[in-house]
Order: sequence, then structure tokens, then C-alpha cells
Amino acid sequence: MARNTVYCHVDLDAFYASVEQLDKPELRGKPVIVGGSEHGRGVVSACSYEARTYGVHSAMPAAEARRRAPHAVFLPVRMGRYQEVSARIMAVLSEYTPTLQQISVDEAFLDLTGTERLSGHPVDIGRRIKRRIHEAFGLTASVGIGATRFVAKMASDFDKPDGLHYVEAGGEEDFVLGLDLTDLWGLGRKTRSRLEALGITRVSHLHAQRIETLRGHFGEAAGTFLYRIARGIDPGIFSGARKSHSISSETTFERDISDPDIIEAILLDLCEQVMYRRYREGGVSRTVQLKLRKHDFSTRTVRRSVPNEIGSTDEFYREARRLLVERWDGTPLRLLGCGLENVQSPESLAKQPELFDQTHRSAERRRRLEEAVFKLREGGIDIRKAGGFREEGYKDST
Amino acid sequence: MMKFTCERDVLIKEISVAQEIISSRNVLSILSNVMLEAAENTLRIRATDLKVGFETRIPVEVAQEGSSTVFCDKLLGILRSLPEGEVEFETSENDVFSIRPVFRKIDFQLKSISSEKFPEIQQAQSDSFFEFSQAAIIEMIRQTAFAVSDDETRYFMNGVYMENVDGHLVMVATDGRRLSYIRSEEDSELPDFPGVIVPPKVLGLVRKLASGEGTVRISITPKAVFFHFDNQKLSSSLIEGQFPNYQRVIPESQQYTATVDRNELSEALRRVSLLVEKSRRIYMKIADGSIGISSEQSEIGVAHEELSCAYDGPETLMALNYVYLSEPLKVIENDQVEIQFSEATKAITLYSVPRASYFHIIMPMQLD
Repeated sequence: MARNTVYCHVDLDAFYASVEQLDKPELRGKPVIVGGSEHGRGVVSACSYEARTYGVHSAMPAAEARRRAPHAVFLPVRMGRYQEVSARIMAVLSEYTPTLQQISVDEAFLDLTGTERLSGHPVDIGRRIKRRIHEAFGLTASVGIGATRFVAKMASDFDKPDGLHYVEAGGEEDFVLGLDLTDLWGLGRKTRSRLEALGITRVSHLHAQRIETLRGHFGEAAGTFLYRIARGIDPGIFSGARKSHSISSETTFERDISDPDIIEAILLDLCEQVMYRRYREGGVSRTVQLKLRKHDFSTRTVRRSVPNEIGSTDEFYREARRLLVERWDGTPLRLLGCGLENVQSPESLAKQPELFDQTHRSAERRRRLEEAVFKLREGGIDIRKAGGFREEGYKDST
Repeated sequence: MMKFTCERDVLIKEISVAQEIISSRNVLSILSNVMLEAAENTLRIRATDLKVGFETRIPVEVAQEGSSTVFCDKLLGILRSLPEGEVEFETSENDVFSIRPVFRKIDFQLKSISSEKFPEIQQAQSDSFFEFSQAAIIEMIRQTAFAVSDDETRYFMNGVYMENVDGHLVMVATDGRRLSYIRSEEDSELPDFPGVIVPPKVLGLVRKLASGEGTVRISITPKAVFFHFDNQKLSSSLIEGQFPNYQRVIPESQQYTATVDRNELSEALRRVSLLVEKSRRIYMKIADGSIGISSEQSEIGVAHEELSCAYDGPETLMALNYVYLSEPLKVIENDQVEIQFSEATKAITLYSVPRASYFHIIMPMQLD
């Protein structure tokens, strides 16, 4: 490596719930659960730290959350609002680095490599970021700093909430050895139980395995991965600027839904969320993806490419809806998702000009109009599509 | 209570057309049903998706006149499964429709819905029809229907435009990036009618029902189009909206012409397109005596093919959606085609050699 890299991972603490507590001061200090409801089947999207003390966590069935925290306040997901706050926080973060990589609505990596002389020591930058987020937005964030994104990510988790942890270059192996297996990023529950079956219950056990042994048990790729993470070496999960990626959004329903009008309204809403993120992240895509999970948990993802880039929510929704009409037989749905795949830099997409300029112009007009709306929204003015619809109490996550 | 007997094969032929009209995506309703009406030793069969209507008559032996509607998909499935020969059909009081092959112990009973609930199919005024050659309409549909747009926001391009230009029937289809045009050669007496946008569904059915011999009677009204064959009638509502001013995008004259073997070009495109990714973009380099077709360099690899052509002009590189090029090549009848163009960024024209009554226009893609 030519020079010492420094990455900072910023993770907003209990973001959805914190925004709710911010907007509704009477909820501060109380257990707040976002997503799902006390009655239905929904799933917890996020919860405040007060709720976590009762053992509630995200992705937990709402009924279970209700059982554990009977007095908690259940709130519907207001993704538009979270995205709005998120966009403003991301704008602040981008002041500290030319390369900000947003992972989700509440999480981002800052590449601080080479910024020391300009902005000071990474730990000072981390403190300043935390202070600014708190002063400007009333929210707390956990910050992790390390030589790789992998280490920075685990460092931000280390002292959560409101934490700041710095892993000095060269100290990665010791840092990882001090963690629990459950804290190792990228290690799923299934892999963990397979490790436990082999008697590997601590990071130090994993660290003691030879790479050949791990490859023998888990295969070439996964074996190498385990070997690397046990040493604090970035296995390459967050490798640099990817050439293409996808942006998607999905929602799990409170109750199974089979009403096509509601499904379509929700789809429009999801499309708009995805387009907003695409607008913020830049890039263009020609491939629309639709994800359907039926009541029996069978899940299918279908995709279709169109000749020209998807330039506006209208175009996106139109294609997604066509997929829905073709692939959905009307059976009750549990989850609906949609996304743009192969999001690439604008230059890399082949352009097909139009024969008639008026059709081209109307598509271009829609695109510009939408960008103008998104810009207004960033400025705090909330304009929404009239068709947009959100049923109380269904949960979503981007 | 209706009762009639007819040959399985005769009925299958008509019921399978009916099933094509019925939109299978619909939730089960009366529109999923086919209507059967037996009277005067004729069975009248009707099906509709509310836009396209189909009506046909076949001779049957009627024991008792009456009418009913049954689930078309299942009726067709049952008919296909039965042995060849005579089949007896009967409705009984409690809306049960029985299907019983004569001399066999097979008995199917389908739920039926009263034909009173079946929607009316629109009818044309009998004086508005004109005769048109079946062979000609088949060719006109073949040269154009593939070029329509399936983009719903361009609904006005979702059909084939039909108009009367100086007594000739002209059909045009475009998706906004390519356009196909054909003008009928014959001087059949065309009545005046407004330019209309006809959905491709009914045109596909016309192609299917037309034998290619004799004539079909056509009526074009501001709201609907009708095609009447001897025993079969098709109708379709039209796409409302303004078809784009297509004359404006037809190049009046092109500077350069390359003449190439249609089949060779078609085969070359088929091969090179194996390595073309989702962009569908191929590069076509037209030079003295040769046309080079290349795919883009990609992670998979690259393909290149050269074929000879007659061309006398500057070396020109253009990018094209290969589907836009290969689709017209499939419908052009003659062995040679002319690729006419002026600049790499302007629309190209594809002609058959010798010239026919049709041509195809393609807007190139951007080169980089």
C-alpha cells in the first residue's frame, strides 16, 4: 500500500427511533419501536435504546416485541423523514472527506486517508463529527476509525451507542482478538453455528486455525474469508468504489396484502425512495428489479432491462408495475421490494437517441422535474407524488 | 336448455382462437368465459376482452336451441383431451354444462354462467366495409406490427397507424427509435376514414385467421376497426391519441447507399449479438466493399465479422441496436437490402432490393 489508509465509519445510533424521539419530544426516554404494530405480525424495523433494555431488537416480530416491552410506543416507519435527515447529515459528513461512501440511510464510510495535515488527527475528526451531529441534529452517532473499512466498521460497534473507538494501524489483530465471535463483521449465524460445532467459540480459537483447515471445512472462499477476519484483515466486503451496484428498497407488510391498488401504491412509494437514493448517489441504471414474497415465504426476484436509462420515478414505476402485473398471480403478499440494478456511472451507458424529439423531450422534462423536487426536499420542503401512499404501520427498510 | 352435437376438431379450432382473445391474466369473471349460442343448426361462438371481440359460426346439429357461457380455458383443455369424433354438449337447469363424447363413457360437467351477463360485442354498420386482399393485409401487418412500442407511456405508439393516403392504405409502426412503413400497392377503392391506431393484438389475430386467399372485409371507424372473414368476425377498439407526425422522420434523401446480402447480414448479426450485452449495441463499420459488425469489448469477450457489400463512400462507423436491424431483415422478402444513410448520428433507411412498397427506419445509438 502506497500510504497508510484511514477510514472512519459513522453509524447513527438507533436512527429511526431517535428521529422519532427528536420529532416527538414526549417520547424521549421512553421505549420506542418503529415498524410493526402491537397487534399485527409486522417486524421491528428499529427501536430506541430504552426499548433495547427490554430485549427488543430490529427484525424481531412485533408480537414478540410487544410481549417483551408491553408499554413501548409503536410507530410506523416514516422513511421519507429519515431520508431527509440522513441526507443532511451525509452532507455534513462530506465536508470531512472527498470520498464519502454511504452504506445505508444511517451509515457511511469516510475515507480520511491523507487528510491529517488539513483536518487534524482522525480521532479529533471523529470527535468533531460526533459533536456536529449532536449539535445540529440532536442525534448521537458511533464512530469507528481504522486502517480498513472492515476494522472501522467493527470499531464503531465497539462502544455503541455514542461511542468513539480508534484502532491504530498495526493493532487490528489485537483488536479483533478482543471481540466476541458475534461481533465479527460478516459472520452470519449459520457460519457461527458451524464454527461452534467445530468447537470454535472464540475469536482466538478461530485465529488458531490454519488456513488449510478452514478451507477444508468451509471451502476456498469462505475459508480464506474466516482466516482473514480473525486477523483483522479486510476480507474485501467494502472494497472501494464498485463499478456497478444496485439500489433497492423493500417493505414487509403488517398483514398479507392482496389488494392490487394498495400493492401498486406501495410500489410507487418504494420506487420513489429508490429514485431519491439514486439521485443522491448518482449513477444510471437500465435494469429494474422486483421482489415478491408470498404468504408462504416463497420469494422471487425478477428483473428486466429497458433500452434507455430509468430517468424518473414514473418510468421506474411503470416498468416495476409491468413486472408486477406479469409475475404476480394475486396471491397475498408478505413483502414487496423493488430496485435498480447495475447502477453505473452515466458515461458507461449506451444511449439510444429518439427519432421524434418530442418523446425525448417529455422524458427529459420528467427527469428534470423530479430532480428539482428532490432538491427541494433536501432543502426541507416535502413534496410528494399525489399517488404516493403509506398505510399506517407497515415497515420498510432500504 | 341448449343441446347440440359437433365434431371435436371443428370446435377446437374456433375455441382456441377464442382463448387467445380472452386475457388469461384477468381474475376469473364472465370475461374468462366463451359464449355459445345454438340456433338453426349453427353454433355461434363469442369471446371478448372488452377491447377485442371475436365471433364465429360453425354448423352443428342442434337438438335444442339456447345459449350459455363456460370457462374457455377449461373447455379448450377438455376438448383437447377428448378422443376425435362427435361430442354432445348440453346445459341443464342448474347452470351445468355437460360435455359428453358420443359413444364414450366420458362425462365432464362445467359450471356455466348465463349468457345474459355476457357483454355485447361492438358491431360495424354494414355499409362501411371495403374489400381488401388477404395476402396484402398479411404482408402489411408483417412489415409493421413488430415495430410497435410496448412502452405504456407512449400509448399512442402501442399500435399500428392505419390511414388512407391518396386512395392507398398506409400502415406505420414505431417505438420512437425505429419506424416501419408500408403502403398498399393495389388500387382497391378505399373509403375515406380517419387515421387510426390499431392495437397489435387484433392484427395478430387477423394474420392468424387470414388464409391469404381472396379478400377480407374491413371497416375503419373513429372508435373501432372490424375485420370480417367468411364465418369469422374480429373487432377491436382503437388506441386513442395522436400518432406522431411520422412523415417528418422519414429521410427525404440519403447520401450513401450500401447494398448487402440480407441473409448474410442477418446471420452475422445473430452471431455477433451472442456477445452483445444488455445495451444491444453493435458497431457497424461501412467501408469500401465491406461491412464490419462488432460487439463491444466486454468482460465476456468480443466478436467481429466482415461481409462484402457494394458501397462507394467515406468509411463510416455507426452504433446500432442490433434488434432494430435484425427484426426488419427477418420480414424483408428479397435477397438484397440497401442500407441508406447520411451521417452516423442520423436515421438510416433499410430498403429491399428491388424496392418494395415498404421500408424501415432506424435511429442509430450513440457511438461512445
